[in-house]
Order: sequence, then structure tokens, then C-alpha cells
Amino acid sequence: MSNVVVLDNGGGLIKAGQGGERDPAVVIPNCLYRPLTSKKFLHPSTTTEEDLTSAAIRRPIDRGYLINPDLQRDIWSHLFNSLLHVSPSSSSLLLTEPLFSLPSIQRSTDELIFEDFGFNSLFVADSPSLVHLYESSRRPDSLLSEAQCSLVVDCGFSFTHVAPVFQNCTLNYGVKRIDLGGKALTNYLKELVSYRSINVMDETFLMDDVKEKLCFVSLDVETDLQIARKQGKDNLFRCTYVLPDGVTHKKGYVEDPEAAQRHLRASPSAAMEPNKEAYQLETIAKTEERKRVDLTKNEFDLMNERFLVPEMIFQPADLGMNEAGLAECIVRAVNACHPYLRPVLYQSIILTGGSTLFPRFAERLQKDLRPLVPNEYQVKITTQNDPILDVWRGGSLLASSPNFESTCVTKAEYEEHGSARCRRRFFH
Amino acid sequence: MDDDNSNALRRMSTRTRKVAPKMAAALGSSDNRSQAALARLEALENDNAGIEAVEMNDDDEASLDEDDQAYMQKRSKGTKRKTRQAKALENARKAPRSFLELLHEANLESLPPHVPSYLRAAVGPPSSTSRRHFCSVCGFSAKYTCVTCGMRFCSCRCQNIHNDTRCMKFVA
Repeated sequence: MSNVVVLDNGGGLIKAGQGGERDPAVVIPNCLYRPLTSKKFLHPSTTTEEDLTSAAIRRPIDRGYLINPDLQRDIWSHLFNSLLHVSPSSSSLLLTEPLFSLPSIQRSTDELIFEDFGFNSLFVADSPSLVHLYESSRRPDSLLSEAQCSLVVDCGFSFTHVAPVFQNCTLNYGVKRIDLGGKALTNYLKELVSYRSINVMDETFLMDDVKEKLCFVSLDVETDLQIARKQGKDNLFRCTYVLPDGVTHKKGYVEDPEAAQRHLRASPSAAMEPNKEAYQLETIAKTEERKRVDLTKNEFDLMNERFLVPEMIFQPADLGMNEAGLAECIVRAVNACHPYLRPVLYQSIILTGGSTLFPRFAERLQKDLRPLVPNEYQVKITTQNDPILDVWRGGSLLASSPNFESTCVTKAEYEEHGSARCRRRFFH
Repeated sequence: MDDDNSNALRRMSTRTRKVAPKMAAALGSSDNRSQAALARLEALENDNAGIEAVEMNDDDEASLDEDDQAYMQKRSKGTKRKTRQAKALENARKAPRSFLELLHEANLESLPPHVPSYLRAAVGPPSSTSRRHFCSVCGFSAKYTCVTCGMRFCSCRCQNIHNDTRCMKFVA
């Protein structure tokens, strides 16, 4: 009857568009920022290139949950009015909500949707089931769509969830969470770079870019650390990031993108061969290199930070967090489920979320996971083409299904029964 | 209690160790260290939100309902300028509460243990207690611990840098 707005309201990015389409029409950061040149907080614009140096950021979402409805209202009204051009009163909303949202947060979200924006009807979905829906529709003959069962590993901006999905429902007793996501990784990288070379504590957007371009997951940390210790050309990991100077280029860039990728091609064994002659030369080069370091230049080198930062998802204990790593998290989530489901879950692991975009993420997970899983089970990890958008695509599929309208909570029902009663419909 | 037990089990050398009183105090106060470690973890979730007080005056269109405006008008009639304290109070009233506050309010501990909740979804401590240590200065694996603050370093050079720049700076 009416059109459906699908809104994946992430902590880092908002993905929004009309239900039934393939790609979201709008992907914007879920924040307001204030560049140094401005006194007011601005909406992120998709078109004009702004100087984001030392921009202050306000986010409506803290640790994955919506805590600032006022700010979110601001961002959403900009989104609906200026970017999507929809009128809420004549459309339905499909909203993703993080798992285990608190009742008070659900209440304020409902108020925001029905009272401030006046949407016709609302459907609240959780992201694991949407990912499962999308994957099973994309590959109808795979095991996960035949068994109607998968294990969704969602490594997003605020946290990492491992959620078993069975028959399009997330099994909430099996869900496990690590309190580490893209934001924590960016902040960690910020801290490391600020201590070691240049103070970038205020440059969130810049460091996001550095993280996305340069960080990767190491398959063997010990070996890679030894390589990173080498000098000169043998060091496959050293690369230079040039900071924006505000005049010729407004955005930072990697000085030599080719060289930054060479670690992916080189085989670890060849790089490990000791070379004594080269070593002697290097000691000379080393002393020169030390002189060469110049703090006034607006660039910095990254070496072991490139793989030690994403490493934290696999072993948060190294950071001092008292939490298990991703592989162990998966094992615990699976063990919380019925034994009949376990072999299927291990065979249908889906990786989603922006933080899984680090190169070699899946390989490393496979390597960590295999020793922890009983021998008779197979481990199969599926990566997605576009892990950031696939939750939205699942939502778009769901919104275009024929009986979607009947499953929504309408505005009249909300006004009659209130938030808590209506929420029971969504089983979480 | 736990400390006493572990000390009894552990084999201690009989040699009396001479430690300067200040050093002993620093060693003994695991509180400071764990506080610093927690603060570092907490900092990983920070946004650089800027200084809230500056922009509060600017965004007059957001989130002011009528009695707020009445309140502000009354205030501006009574006194010419808002005192700092009044400003701070107002900001505190308007400031959104953090997730941890909301979590505390939701009182999830009172739920029966079989109900899945935010708290029970946490993955929990790792099965092996061993952790790798990385040098806080250069990032390579670190053998040594700073006796003053407990951070790690890998070599003499890094120790000097650590002592000059970071050691106990965060507690002071």
C-alpha cells in the first residue's frame, strides 16, 4: 500500500533507502560534526568536500545503543527531508535495532518514530536475521538456506556480535558479544600514532581512513613482528601516510599504495630468510634513517601498528580487556545452541560488518577457529561482497515480501497499547 | 583474601628486599594501575565531541520545548549573565545520559539467570590466562615491565623513552 523506508541505523553509518531496491539510496555517517571553520555542528554532506581536520563529532549512539534521541531526531529529519525526500506520515519504517536493546531505549526510539516523525507503521528487525535472509536468498541452493540456519558474525562499528540464526529468528540465548568494534580500533590506532609520531587524537575521520587503507590482519603475528623489525627494503610493512596540508590536498593519502600492498603478495617464508650482508649494510642505513626522521614533515610511518590494531579483535586480552577473542566467542555461541545445530552452524558462518573488511580477516578466523572446533565438524566461513550494506539489503528484501505490512506495528496500535506491548510482536 | 592465599602458595625467596618507601607504595597500589588500565579501555569508546559548553549557546533550535524557553527567559530577566554554575547545571540537565548509566538504570541484574540480556550476552573472560605483551613504545613483543607503572617495554631505549614521556604521567 505505502512505500517502506528501510533504515539501518548503525553506530557509524546510516544506510537508508526504499524497500525493494537493491542498494540503499543514502549512506551517511551517523553523526554531526563541527569543523574548525564552523561554529555550529553540521550535517555530513555527501557532495561537497569539506576540510574535516580536527572536526568535533557528536554521535547519537554510544556503545551501539541509541542514547541521544534529540540528536538522532536532528539527523533523521535531515535524512528524511533533504536526502530521501519521503514524508513519514505516509510510509512505513523498517528499522534495525541492536540486539538486547534496553527497554528505556526502545521506548524512546518508539516515541521518536511515532510521535516525532509520525510514521504509519514500524517493523523492528535485528541485523543477524536480515543478513541471513539476504544470504539465503542470494544462494538458494547452499546449506544455509536449506537448513535455514547460520551463524552471523557481525563485526561492526561499536561492537562485535556472534549470533546464531535459525529459521529467520535470532536465537538470543546463543548470542555472544565482544565490546570491540571499528570505533575502538580507530581510537586505538589514534592512540598509538599519537604517542609514537604525531598527535592525531582529534583526527577521527583521518584515522578512519588510515585504518581502512593500511590495516590488515596478520596470519602469524610472531613472524610478522620479526619482519616489521627489519630495516630498509626487507621491511614489507613500513609505509608512509601523508597528512593533508589543507592547501593542495584536503585528504590524507598513502604515499606509495603499491608498496603498502606488497605484504599480501610476498610469501612469509621467503621474507624470513636471514641475509647477513644486507644486515651489515642496514646497520649503516639505520643510523642514517634515524637522523632522517623529521617531525616537522606532515607524514607518519606505520609498521607493526598495521596488523597489531586489528589483532585486538582476535585477542582482546592483549589490550587488557578481560574478554575472549573472536574465535572463542564463536565457539561459545555455538555451544549455547542445541547439539543438532552445531555442525550446521560451523559450516555456515557469515562474516558481516565493516570491520571484517580488513584483508585476510576470514583466513585468520579460519586459522584460529579450526583448532577449537571438534574434528568431525567442518568449518566454512562465508564472506560477503559488501559487508556494510548487506544488512540493509536483507531489510529491503524483507520489506518487499508480500505479508510485510501485516507484521508491522501500526501507529494506531502504538497509541492504543503503548510501546512495551507492541514490542512483544518482534520477539526480542 | 585471594591475595593472602596466593602469597601462601607462592614460593617466596627468603631474601629481604629493600625497596624505597615510595616505590613500595607505587608497587602496592594496584588500584592506580588498574584504574589507569580501565581508563585506557574507556578511552577507546570516546568520540572527540568537542567542548559541549561552547555549542550549547548556539543550537537554540534543537530540543528546547516551551517550559525550557520560559525558564531561560526568566533567568535572563533576573540576572544579566548566567553564572557558570547555572550554566553547568543546565548543561547537566540537558546532557544525554551515557549508555552505562541507562544500563545501570535498567537493572538487568535482577532478571532471572535464564533470560538472555545485554549482560549475559557478553562473551566473558578468555579461557587461557596468558596474554602477549607488546612494548608500549615501539609495539614489538615486550619482555620487561616498568616497576613503577606496570606498562611494558622491550629494550633499554624504549625504557628511557617510556620513563621520559609516559611513566606515571597519567596518574599524576
